[in-house]
Formats: sequence, structure tokens, C-alpha cells
Amino acid sequence: MNRLTGTLIRSAATIIIVILAVIVAVWMWNHYERSPWTRDGRVRADVVRVTPDIGGLVTSVAVRDNQQVKAGDLLFVIDTPRYALALEQAEAQIASAQATLGQARREATRDLALGDLVAKESHEQNVARVATAQAALAEARSARDAAALNLKRTQVRASVNGVVTNLDLHPGDYLAAGTQAMALIDSDSLRVEGYFEETKLPLVCIGAPVTVRLMGEKQDLHGKVESIAYGINDSTRSDSGNLLPTVEPTFSWVRLAQRIPVRVKLTNVPANITLISGRTATVTVEPAKKDAKPGSCRHA
Amino acid sequence: MTGELSIDGVFFPTLLALALAALILTYGLTRLIAAFGLYRFLAYRALVDLSLFVLTLGGLSILVPMLGIRL
Repeated sequence: MNRLTGTLIRSAATIIIVILAVIVAVWMWNHYERSPWTRDGRVRADVVRVTPDIGGLVTSVAVRDNQQVKAGDLLFVIDTPRYALALEQAEAQIASAQATLGQARREATRDLALGDLVAKESHEQNVARVATAQAALAEARSARDAAALNLKRTQVRASVNGVVTNLDLHPGDYLAAGTQAMALIDSDSLRVEGYFEETKLPLVCIGAPVTVRLMGEKQDLHGKVESIAYGINDSTRSDSGNLLPTVEPTFSWVRLAQRIPVRVKLTNVPANITLISGRTATVTVEPAKKDAKPGSCRHA
Repeated sequence: MTGELSIDGVFFPTLLALALAALILTYGLTRLIAAFGLYRFLAYRALVDLSLFVLTLGGLSILVPMLGIRL
């Protein structure tokens, strides 16, 4: 009897301890694995690939590496003298076209005064010559405008507020039209993107408050979920030459959740924190309410 | 939840440090229980030890954030 009670007590005590441990383990699992946070976040920014649309020798570079610029600031200048010459040439073409037109008009008026002494064909040719000369003048004028535009484009200016970085452009370099000259990081577009496992996406709401901690910083940054990416690349599928899909035949016991970029707009960043595109961030989103209906958000 | 320990630029989750601490604590705890002879009242010592570790870790992960350290 005594021995039976002893066994019962021992089993009961063990079972209670094990049940408690299971409860704690489940709680911790939910706490760590089911809350929407990721250590896989990056500071990102739009990068403007500053490109001249005319080719030529770079005559001067107006910015230093890592210099802050405002939209409209001069970045570099391409061979102004050559394009100024082109403009002069175009103006000379206008003068030439004007002279031709004047002469054609004079001939036409003179022949018109002679009336029937001149063949009808000659009158027609005169009219045609005047029209051609007028068209040539219009052509020369538009060529002049194009040359003026080219001359204006020799001064390449910043299109956004930002920072010129990794500058490798020097006076004396030759740039072809359409060749990227420098990278300009748009500082107005700085944001944090958290790569969340797709399993955590149902907990992420648009507009939810977000806490961001950059690696190595002591301070938290705050923001809001701005948007969630609408597509990522499917790496198991590619298109073949005849436009049929090539789907990799895989069968995996262990499957990994895809990472979906979630864009976070930062609100009031402290001045002592430098957001550098590419920095690592830990992103924590305040989760959606458990009883929230699918598609609805308590943060909205 | 988002805390990390930096050891010379290499970042570890705080939970890993807590697990190590819990391991040491559990070892001390089992010695204590053995010293008082309380294992007499328990079946399956190994199972109880494992459960103790989980409980210690859970307790630490509740206590440590209260001290202001982020997990």
C-alpha cells in the first residue's frame, strides 16, 4: 500500500513538471517564432544612374565623392565648346536657308510679273522652290533648337536630392551618350526593407507601427509598414527558348519559407543616425490582432 | 525579442546566451535537488532534468526583459 502511494506520488510529480515544461516551451515557441520580426532587414534607397544623353569629353566635374547635392545642382560638364560650335553651325545653316528662301521668292515674284512670257511650268517650279526653301528653313530652325538643347544638356544636373557616392569620373574621361557616369543615391527615398518569411505575412498589416534597430546602433528607429512587395522571383522556374516554362523537378522534405520584402517608411530619424543604403536592420512589426478578420487591420 | 549580443562584431541572439545561462543554472539546480535527496519523489530523472532546463530558460526569458535587456 505504502509502496503504491510512493509510485503514484513520484509519477504525478514527474508528469506535472513535464506538462509545465511543455507549456513553457510552447509559449516560448510562439513568442519567438510566431511574432512578425526579422533580423534580415536592409536600409535601401533609390539609386539614380546619372547618365548624359550626349557623348563627349568630360571637361569638369563639379562634385566630390560622397557630396550631398540638391535637385538641380550641377554634377559635371561635357565638352561645352564642341556643342557651342554645333549651335553656331546650326545658326549658319538658318542664315543659308533664309538666303535661299529669299532668292526663290524674288525669282518667283519677278517671273509672276512677266506673266505669260514665262512658261506655266516655270511658275509651278517657282512655287515649289519657295515651298522647299521654306521647309529647309524650318528644318534648319529645328536643328538649331536641337543644338541648343544639346548645349544645355552638356551641363548634367542632379535630378533628385541625394548623395553622389563611389564617384569615379574625372575631367578628361570620355563618355558616350547613354553611358552611366555616376550613382546618385536619392536621400528622400531612404527606407528600410524587412525580408519577412511568408509564414509571418498574415501578421503584418499595412500601416502597422514598426520598430527598427540598425546593427551597431543603440537607438530604436520608428516607422510604419508602407507596403508589401507584390512579387518575387520564382527560382524553380525559367523560360526555355521556345517560350515554354522549364520547371525544376524537385521534391523536398524540408521546404523553406520565401522571404517577402516589406517596405517600412521611417518617421523622424534622429540626426545622429546615418542611414546608409545597405545597412543591416532588425525589423519588428507590431502584430495584427488575433481576432482581426482576414484582410482587416487594427492599425489601419 | 530583437536583442542581440555583439561579440566583436559577431552578433548572437540573446536567447543563445540565455540558454547557456539556463544550462549552468539547471546543473546547479540538479545538484541541489540531489543534495536534498528530492529525486526520491520523482520518476525518470533525465526527463525531469530536461523539463527543469526548459522551465529555467522560460523563467529567464520572462525575467531578463523585466531587467530592461531586450531578448
